[in-house]
Amino acid sequence: MSRLSTPPSSTLVNRSKPLVFEYNGRRIDACEGDTVASALMASGVDILSRSFKYHRPRGHLCGEGHCPNCMMNVDGSPNVRICSEKVCNGMVVKHQNAIPSPEFDLLAITQKFDFLMPAGFYYKIFHKPRFMWPVFEHFIRKVAGLGVVDGKTPPYRYERQHLRADVVVVGGGPSGLSAALGAAEAGASVTLVEQDSFLGGHFRFQNPESSGFKKVLELEKQVRAKSNIRVLTGAVAFGLYEGNMLGVVQGRRTVRIRAKRVVVASGILERPFVFGNNDLPGIMLGRAVQRLLNLYGVQPGKRAVVVGSNDRALDVAADLLHAGVEVAAYADQRERINDSLESVKLLKSKGVALLPATTAVSADGKMHIRSVTLGPVAGRGENIRLDCDLLVLSVGGDPAIHLVQQGGARGFFEEHRVEFIAKRLGEGHFVAGDSNGVHHEDSILLDGRRAGLAAAQGLGSVDHAAEIADLESRLSANPAVVLNPKTMVAPDGSGKRFVCVCEDVTEKDVCDAIREGFDGIETLKRYSTVSMGPCQGKMCQMSAIGICARETNRTIEETGSTVSRPPFIPITLGALTGRNYHPHKTVPTHSRHAALNAKVISLGDWLRPEMYSNPAEESRAVHERVGLIDVSTLGRIDLRGTDVVKLLDKVYINSWGNLKVGRTRYGVMCDDTGIVFDDGTCARLGDQHYFMTTTTSGVDGVYQWLTSWMAGTSLDVCVTNVTSGYGGVNIAGPRAKEVLGKLTSLNLDSKEFPYMGCVQGQVAGVPCILFRIGFVGELGYEVHFPSFYGEYMWDVIMDAGKEFDIRPFGVETQRILRLQKSHIIIGQDTDAITNPLEANLAWAVKFDKPDFIGRRAIFEAKKQGIKKSLVGFVTRHGEVPEEGTQVMENGYSVGRVTSARFSPHLNKSIGLAWVPTARAKDGQPILIRSKGEWVIADVVTHPFYDPEGARMKG
Amino acid sequence: MSYLIPCPHCGQRDVGEFRFGGEKGSRPTNPDQLNASQWAHYTYDRKNVMGMQTEWWYHRGGCRQWFLATRSTITNIVEKTWLP
Repeated sequence: MSRLSTPPSSTLVNRSKPLVFEYNGRRIDACEGDTVASALMASGVDILSRSFKYHRPRGHLCGEGHCPNCMMNVDGSPNVRICSEKVCNGMVVKHQNAIPSPEFDLLAITQKFDFLMPAGFYYKIFHKPRFMWPVFEHFIRKVAGLGVVDGKTPPYRYERQHLRADVVVVGGGPSGLSAALGAAEAGASVTLVEQDSFLGGHFRFQNPESSGFKKVLELEKQVRAKSNIRVLTGAVAFGLYEGNMLGVVQGRRTVRIRAKRVVVASGILERPFVFGNNDLPGIMLGRAVQRLLNLYGVQPGKRAVVVGSNDRALDVAADLLHAGVEVAAYADQRERINDSLESVKLLKSKGVALLPATTAVSADGKMHIRSVTLGPVAGRGENIRLDCDLLVLSVGGDPAIHLVQQGGARGFFEEHRVEFIAKRLGEGHFVAGDSNGVHHEDSILLDGRRAGLAAAQGLGSVDHAAEIADLESRLSANPAVVLNPKTMVAPDGSGKRFVCVCEDVTEKDVCDAIREGFDGIETLKRYSTVSMGPCQGKMCQMSAIGICARETNRTIEETGSTVSRPPFIPITLGALTGRNYHPHKTVPTHSRHAALNAKVISLGDWLRPEMYSNPAEESRAVHERVGLIDVSTLGRIDLRGTDVVKLLDKVYINSWGNLKVGRTRYGVMCDDTGIVFDDGTCARLGDQHYFMTTTTSGVDGVYQWLTSWMAGTSLDVCVTNVTSGYGGVNIAGPRAKEVLGKLTSLNLDSKEFPYMGCVQGQVAGVPCILFRIGFVGELGYEVHFPSFYGEYMWDVIMDAGKEFDIRPFGVETQRILRLQKSHIIIGQDTDAITNPLEANLAWAVKFDKPDFIGRRAIFEAKKQGIKKSLVGFVTRHGEVPEEGTQVMENGYSVGRVTSARFSPHLNKSIGLAWVPTARAKDGQPILIRSKGEWVIADVVTHPFYDPEGARMKG
Repeated sequence: MSYLIPCPHCGQRDVGEFRFGGEKGSRPTNPDQLNASQWAHYTYDRKNVMGMQTEWWYHRGGCRQWFLATRSTITNIVEKTWLP
């Protein structure tokens, strides 16, 4: 293998721009435009990998990014198909799955033990004796497989892009280009997605003197000139999803394209057929050879034999002659070879033996093909053996209908063309060209234009029905071209006959699996693993179906094909996730917390101060003097209207009609299964005006809950989520009244503004809503102010509190203070099956209300009796059990700890736990299993701190 | 899931912007007269049809309104949407 002395005019490689990269520690010279594979082959590297199971040498096969043979580690990324990877200067490329090198692989010893690896061997062998399995497993995992993620290479960042188009054309080959042009001329905005780095498809890597080559160059020029065609090259459409959304991966970018119509013009997937030793390096597909010759100027061998089944194979043979390769013979599986073709004339003039009705039976060679045995397709007659270092297989391919199949279409087998054609296409889906079973050179272009115009029908102002009808009649007038041979399996020949090169599954393995009863195509696939490797059946689907049909005496149609699902090509998880964004919200007082060096934690979407100093110091300030905490994250919902009481009475388990204006009340919401899902306070600001607070994370859910019960009713309530419109702080502690008193002229006297009271008024000149609530168990005022006053309010309150040694406190101290009061946290202390009766909220349930959400279910729960209860506990020896640990009784788990903290003020470790109701009595001992230790605790059924509530009410 | 839903206010939008609100049903008006199994039927049992289904949707990433839709549970094609 070497570079051609004169590169063809169609080359993509710029020989005047040299590049250098490293392969297995060796310096490889390349040129701009080379792929890693073309550069390696030009440098004489022909064994690119070792096979999955038997570690047989493998070389360049498909050259189009589908087969598994050229997968390597490129710059730390495993399983990169180097036939499609462009060379960059300084790239580091390493082989995979071979020790120490693909040329000499110690693991090839596994071939000697192939009798241990029949079809489905992992269900049969290495399982007995049982204790040996881990040993075998370790070895098998090491030997089998592909690339390895080293864990050291920094992960790539993938970007995500969203695009829209009227028509997306998948495939930039001759039919795709025609389709894009047709749709664009009809007025549609078009996006063309092409897997290769160039446009033109297989016409582009034909001989530059061919008519096809000239046609696609002209088409490309027209496409590039159209302003309403966006071209994405090096981009693979890996999935067609609902709503005509295409997933496309383009290098390190994932593009989601939302299309009105989709034209799939993705051509055919060329594949090998089954004969002896059909996996030897030096056996290549016709398109791989044409790419090497005409795109990269690399000579793939010196003496070639070509086996074909269609006229495209003759073109490959002619291209080899043009490139100075000796063609020892041309074998064609067809009965007749058309003498009138230019390519045939050329072959004849060069004295190439043309052998109709002939196919490859077996190949010979150790590390590279050295000879091929050709024999009659029918299997009877003389075989001939020819020396060669290159065997080209050009026996057609499968229409790439994967995308439309994902979109709902089915593949129907067409006997005379020997291929699956997509029918019953999903809405807005079109197939064109080779992938539509149209293989005649002129027809491919006509079919592309037909599909493009049809896709654009109705999107633009002009009707193209007449032209579409004309194209259809011209298409039916053109001769039908058949690419595929009748069978994908050669008559008997010696050597391993591989069906699936990815998983090393041979024809014998497939037959064995069928004899063992796995004769349905889907079960055969799963049991034998045929088509389950990296190419996902692109190289073997038809062979496997053919063998299955032959062995079970069924037709191909009866045998059927396996289901095609996304992704069409293997894609990395990074491409699917894209870049990670973690949006967060900050409270209006955020800058002040930052200035105080608060430890900030992420709670839900919010960044909140966890603590400023330590809980002991912060809680002492609250108990003895005064503390300040930001509560801006509380959900706030404003409700107004004549039916507001009706709505509140429906969604809360509490009653609201009897709440006086200027008072607030703790409220609990349940769903209709009686499960508690949110709590908060709700204040009556006016006769028909309420102000609700919800849990920090619950506000969106509560808003949706409220509006869902109003949807479709005539309830007159205006519900507004005003969460971000307000900021809030809580001033708590015995000196709180004095601090607030300095800032407002409101009467804070307990008679005027008692516990659970609410007023609206000015604080430091800012209009506020104030609640007097026992948030943390001390005298406390919750002040809600327009959020843009956040920093100002924080500053004036801190300033006013200076003389009382006010301290800010964070959510950790708040957690301890609230736990001291046995306040539950919905979602922390309750779960998805907690009803209010169990959670000590029975006092809030107003059964005397005629109906509310949850009433019927809570009533039923009451009738059936409460079996578990949420209680407080104090551990005897001061341990703080882990939250979530089990409460044990007689060796069984009977409950769990939901909250636990050390209280510096009480100098005790306290918590909440679910226990059997029988245990829910003061002084009952409970046993907790935490971190492998037994913890004894005593039940406490009242708040740990100030059980009478005198301090907050006083 | 990548299908589109025509929001009655905002037009065709990606399904990711919406919250599914379940099958359209109605809450019994006489809970007290229902026995436990009848109530359990309302709270837990769904028709789970294969085919066209009338259901609630909420446009979380848009107008924040509840609306009704008929959707095929087989193809996810949303036939029509309307305000209750």
